[in-house]
Amino acid sequence: MALETTEIKRRLSGVDVLTRKKGLLISPELCIGCRGCQTACKEWNKLPGDRTSNRGTYENPPDLTPNLYNKIRFLEVTGGDTVKWLFVSQRCMHCTDAGCMKVCPAPGALYRTAEGAVAFDRNKCIGCRFCVAGCPFNIPRYDQEGRIAKCHLCSDRIPYGLQPACAKTCPTGAIRYGDREELMGIAKEAGYKTVYGTTDLGGLGVLYAFRERPSYYGLPDSPSFSPTIALWKNILKPLALIGLGGAVAAAAAHYVTIGPKEVDEGGEE
Amino acid sequence: MMKGNLIEKTTAWERFNHWVLAVSFLILFFTGLGFLYQSLNWINTIFGGNHLASAIHKWTGLVFTLSLILTLGSYFGEAIRFTSEDSKWISSLGGYFSKEMEPPPQGKLNAGQKLFYLIVVVLFGATSAFSGFIIWLFPDSRGLILFAHFLHNISYVVFAFAVPLHIYLGTAANPGTFRVMTRGTVTAAWAKKHHGRWAKDMGIE
Ligand code: HEM
Ligand code: SF4
Ligand code: SF4
Ligand code: SF4
Repeated sequence: MALETTEIKRRLSGVDVLTRKKGLLISPELCIGCRGCQTACKEWNKLPGDRTSNRGTYENPPDLTPNLYNKIRFLEVTGGDTVKWLFVSQRCMHCTDAGCMKVCPAPGALYRTAEGAVAFDRNKCIGCRFCVAGCPFNIPRYDQEGRIAKCHLCSDRIPYGLQPACAKTCPTGAIRYGDREELMGIAKEAGYKTVYGTTDLGGLGVLYAFRERPSYYGLPDSPSFSPTIALWKNILKPLALIGLGGAVAAAAAHYVTIGPKEVDEGGEE
Repeated sequence: MMKGNLIEKTTAWERFNHWVLAVSFLILFFTGLGFLYQSLNWINTIFGGNHLASAIHKWTGLVFTLSLILTLGSYFGEAIRFTSEDSKWISSLGGYFSKEMEPPPQGKLNAGQKLFYLIVVVLFGATSAFSGFIIWLFPDSRGLILFAHFLHNISYVVFAFAVPLHIYLGTAANPGTFRVMTRGTVTAAWAKKHHGRWAKDMGIE
């Protein structure tokens, strides 16, 4: 009995989400900017192309869209008299402490998969877009019907023993899929200075092998969601039920102890 | 106005609008509760699932807001008139915690009613309506949404504390009071006990 309880607690705790968590390791320095991953993702998810225009850059489309769950950002980084071209994959990070899930008012619209990823059920989404505001990485997008769309870590491939389409397609190993712990080991062994996502937001499902600071690659150095979300979740939310229960209980207690203010009608009728 | 032995305290219009406000509020409150807690999401199943509950919540929000604006004509003028009777009502805690501490004769609304109206209904009602409309109409502005979500929830907590007490005070705690919202009339004895100064103004000795 006692064992069972500890087991349940362990499973519910973030720690266990982390140990069984699968994820991706992204190494921008290995990426050649072929965008095979963008195409493979579209193909697997049956997402149509977006009409875009020539902006004088190979980066295309300019941002994530409801039809683009994964995008290669083309960054030009100048240092001294050289220009470095960096290709950085941008998509949902599958945060352990996920701001989007915290604020979503429609149960099941965003859910945690067995691999610890954050998937979505567009039929359950009510289109309020709280998740957009809650996401530290500005990831969720909306389709024409106003329903959420984002990377779901191929939640319809992994259970069938397939790896995510983007990782499978990548010709250089810039996107690798595997056990999160193993991926961290691989990055460290390869001598990367920083493994982005090790502890941020409880541990990200998408890790990045960086040689420089995260901001160099266009990612926030210390990602976080708004403190009002934590304040709401930890204080206001419980307070609402405490208030309701407390007020009803206080009214009942008052009625049976001090009692109502009776009016003496004294035969006035 | 006297109606036989009875005195009119609310007009038919005031009673009607109070019920619009109360019913729309309860719909908002319970659909809101269903969105707030996963474990209470069954409430929204009763409202036809999350999608329908969301649409009901929004349009009921509009009804609530209009009704709220219309209450201003009924209670606002009286509520902002604060006198020494009101301070005494507060220091005697309205006489609710000890039968010995009788508050002085009150006007048409007592201090507790004034504060409930001004703070809970007007201030937090407006906050919830304002934030609700932002959430509804400006879903794409991330910063604004977070701010509105926060305000919406603060006002929710205030309602969760205050409204059940308001309902209790209007019903079980004060026998004879619920008539104000059903028939609109009260007995002379009731008027003298609860709103002595008003009763006097109405010509009851
Ligand atoms: C005054 C009574 C009201 C109460 C008690 C109330 C309560 C709530 C609660 C608890 C939520 C869920 C928030 C969350 O998950 O954190 C919510 C969401 C929402 N509220 Fe209200 N609210 C009220 C008034 C309004 C008004 C006046 C409007 C605007 C017309 C409005 C529009 C919304 C919208 C659009 C949402 C987002 C969820 C959805 O799409 O249904 N609310 N409300
Ligand atoms: S838009 Fe959809 S997924 Fe996002 S928070 Fe609202 S209901 Fe949840
Ligand atoms: S990156 Fe954004 S959308 Fe993805 S899990 Fe984290 S908070 Fe949610
Ligand atoms: S994991 Fe799947 S859904 Fe996510 S970007 Fe890769 S291919 Fe697309």
